[in-house]
Amino acid sequence: MFDQIFGNYLVSTKRISKEQLEEVIALESTIRVKLGLIAVTEKLMSTEQADEVNNLQAVMDRRFGDIAVERGYLTEEQVGQLLKKQGNIYLVFVQTLMDKELLTLPDVEAALAEYQQLMGFTSTDMDDLVSGDIERTVGIFLPEADTLYERLCGIAVRTFVRIINSGAYVSKAYMVNEIHADNLAVQKLIGDHAIISGFAGAGNSLLAISNPFAKEEFEKVDLDALDAVGEFTNCINGLFASELSKENIEIDMLPPSFYEEPVKISGNKFCVFPMVVNDQNVNFIVAIDEELNVE
Amino acid sequence: MAKVLIVDDSRTSRKMLRNILEANGHEIVDEAVNGQEGVQKYQSCKPDIVTMDITMPIIDGVEALKMIKAMHKEAKVIMVTAAGQKSKMIECIKEGADDFLTKPFEQNEIIEVINKLMS
Repeated sequence: MFDQIFGNYLVSTKRISKEQLEEVIALESTIRVKLGLIAVTEKLMSTEQADEVNNLQAVMDRRFGDIAVERGYLTEEQVGQLLKKQGNIYLVFVQTLMDKELLTLPDVEAALAEYQQLMGFTSTDMDDLVSGDIERTVGIFLPEADTLYERLCGIAVRTFVRIINSGAYVSKAYMVNEIHADNLAVQKLIGDHAIISGFAGAGNSLLAISNPFAKEEFEKVDLDALDAVGEFTNCINGLFASELSKENIEIDMLPPSFYEEPVKISGNKFCVFPMVVNDQNVNFIVAIDEELNVE
Repeated sequence: MAKVLIVDDSRTSRKMLRNILEANGHEIVDEAVNGQEGVQKYQSCKPDIVTMDITMPIIDGVEALKMIKAMHKEAKVIMVTAAGQKSKMIECIKEGADDFLTKPFEQNEIIEVINKLMS
């Protein structure tokens, strides 16, 4: 998800084009991150040292780690730690950008610092983001460190990526007391907590959920398409209820409700978690132990 | 081959189940969109198997299961649940549910459950 989030920031700031981003993401699975890049991003070696080892490697037919240890740049233990990071999505993404000669490492680091400032993220938040871990990523995009919001949104994003589209990504969530939507599918959960969650869309954006979930080609967001969105919401809420039941928290689900005409969603306070899938914006709406009215 | 009645308020779920079952040689004798209609249609079409969603309006799946089993002890009813409906599942077992299917549907699981009940 890091590649989509940061990649789209690079596109929005015109550092790369949308087509280049798509190409980079498509290539990621074939990329093996060079140890030198990891050592530089981890600040264990300078760029010059990494270049020197790379050049030696070309003439010595030896592994990067062995040469770096021999030159005294890295310890055996550090090489081991770096090797473990070779599958990290941030590094894979950066390596692919570099291999395609789209950006240099300093370019990427400057863009990342700019993105951090824009989003108001701490360095711990950035560690979570570049980890590529969905749970950690979701946490930094939520406005409140409330575990129930975090857990439900985490399940929603994981389920979204697993069932709807592996290229989906999130942007910063926010708490509001009112929003408007062109259409909506929501489900109430009752029991030890009163929860309402579902998806709100603009125009036909909810088709990005209904069509892959139902494996159908709905052309507009009508009641049938919303039914599919409601069933997907039901899967998310079911997984959430299942997790809570392990802590003896009982939650039961009611049939989903659908609104195919524009609605005003209002309440004391609820969370709007924007997700992007195939360039379509959909909002995951969650209210936990708070009123939520739809009219 | 089983004659199946699908009871589910979701058009999406009904269609998914129908597609999977028909592709595997089973016949859908009818569909119902809530528990009340499910009970009525059971009487009229006497299916071999009922797939019964738990969460439905008017009469939910648990109530419909009770009504069908009260009238037809031999009825084979598979309850369809989302994950997390543990207490409802326990209630269904007490009321004689024959098996369970979890959403989102897995084709192999559905066919395995149907074949088990038909054997």
